[in-house]
Amino acid sequence: MKDFFSKFGIWILAAAALIAVLLSVLSYFTSTSTALHNAAGIVTSPFRSASETVSRWIEDKKHYYKEYNDLLEENAALREEVAELRANARQADRDREENKLLRELIDLREQRRDFEMESAMVLERSANNWTRTLTLNQGTSHGVAVKNVVVSSEGYMIGVVIEVGLNWCTVQTIVDTDTEIGALLFRTGDVVIAEGDFALMRENKLKLSFLPTEAPLLVGDYIVTSGLGGYYPSNIVIGTVESVESDDDGLAQYAVLAPMCDFDSQTEVFIIKSFDIVE
Amino acid sequence: MLTRRDYIIKWGSYGAVSLLLTLLFSLTLRDLRVLGVTMFLPPLLVGVVASLEDTKSAVIYAIVVGVLCDLTIAGTFPCVYTLAFTAASLCCSILAKSVLQPGFLCSLALTTLTFVFVDVLNMLALRLKCHAEAGPMLLMMLCETAVSCILLVVCHPVLLHLHRKFTI
Repeated sequence: MKDFFSKFGIWILAAAALIAVLLSVLSYFTSTSTALHNAAGIVTSPFRSASETVSRWIEDKKHYYKEYNDLLEENAALREEVAELRANARQADRDREENKLLRELIDLREQRRDFEMESAMVLERSANNWTRTLTLNQGTSHGVAVKNVVVSSEGYMIGVVIEVGLNWCTVQTIVDTDTEIGALLFRTGDVVIAEGDFALMRENKLKLSFLPTEAPLLVGDYIVTSGLGGYYPSNIVIGTVESVESDDDGLAQYAVLAPMCDFDSQTEVFIIKSFDIVE
Repeated sequence: MLTRRDYIIKWGSYGAVSLLLTLLFSLTLRDLRVLGVTMFLPPLLVGVVASLEDTKSAVIYAIVVGVLCDLTIAGTFPCVYTLAFTAASLCCSILAKSVLQPGFLCSLALTTLTFVFVDVLNMLALRLKCHAEAGPMLLMMLCETAVSCILLVVCHPVLLHLHRKFTI
């Protein structure tokens, strides 16, 4: 043993350190992904896809019988909601026409929200407990880039692309501890910060900091992206306020934010590759 | 004494079995949450191989597994698994050769130690980057280690069988 360490110990540590430094430096200086990451992603892509398909199939079979009664109840509730939403849509149509007329009268530019989207399938959910990421099946070959926002089919925010390969990309979900997004309290327009918190990440929730002092938050308040700085589109729903808590020292308050979508059940998502918003 | 050919077959088999275990795990248990955490296979492979093989081979195996994990799994920082697995494998080999008797309990102890190395590095990274609190992270480490060690029931016999095949 002693001989081994005197002969090889230093070389083994040097090799590990060299590899570690190389990986760190390459990942720091590349805007997409390193050649090694890219190759590993391409090679593992079919396996990830197969594994996701099989586990999704098992999950579907498991839920098929169990959830029948729940589905009946949900169906009844959804019918009521659809009726209510149809009434709201009719009112929105009338409001839109009125808004258009008024904008023309005061010579304002027409509001618009143009998104260039790319649909993507989820290949893998985070493989460890210390991060919350998703791997998708679209990459640079489809025009996906780092910092693109990913939304669910309902338009709720899922996360941001942090790494891209040729036919894959990694998305850091909004509950990941590294997340920090400029957000707005939809009811009042106050600016807040939505950030990941390790303790809340396990429950698929995140934290809302820098709460406004004048207007108290209400449970159920919608939180949307602020769009400030132009990195992300504005008014994408992040989640709703679940509770308002005090820090350990009792001096500052923060809110617990529940995302609108369940990351574990997402199979198809949309990547916003570019956007043009006039408000 | 193993010939060069035996040596290649042996480590080719270790590689193939490791990939097969990873594939089976991905297909079946990857999304299963117990105590709010999912199981994590790679530290088990590193721990068990360190308990069975000589130090040099175990460390090289750990470096390879670490690099592959860093290339395919999003970590708290880019080289977390390479560093953690190499350091853990060195310590595990020393313990396995000098203190512990080879066997299931030895594998269990070394796997736990590997998890400690990985999770302590993750904790340090998150503490520095996001000022994450230590309490929930320690709880995560305990839960992840406890839940993942269940997989030893499968991993240990399979890798032990492979080890015996090429040793005896």
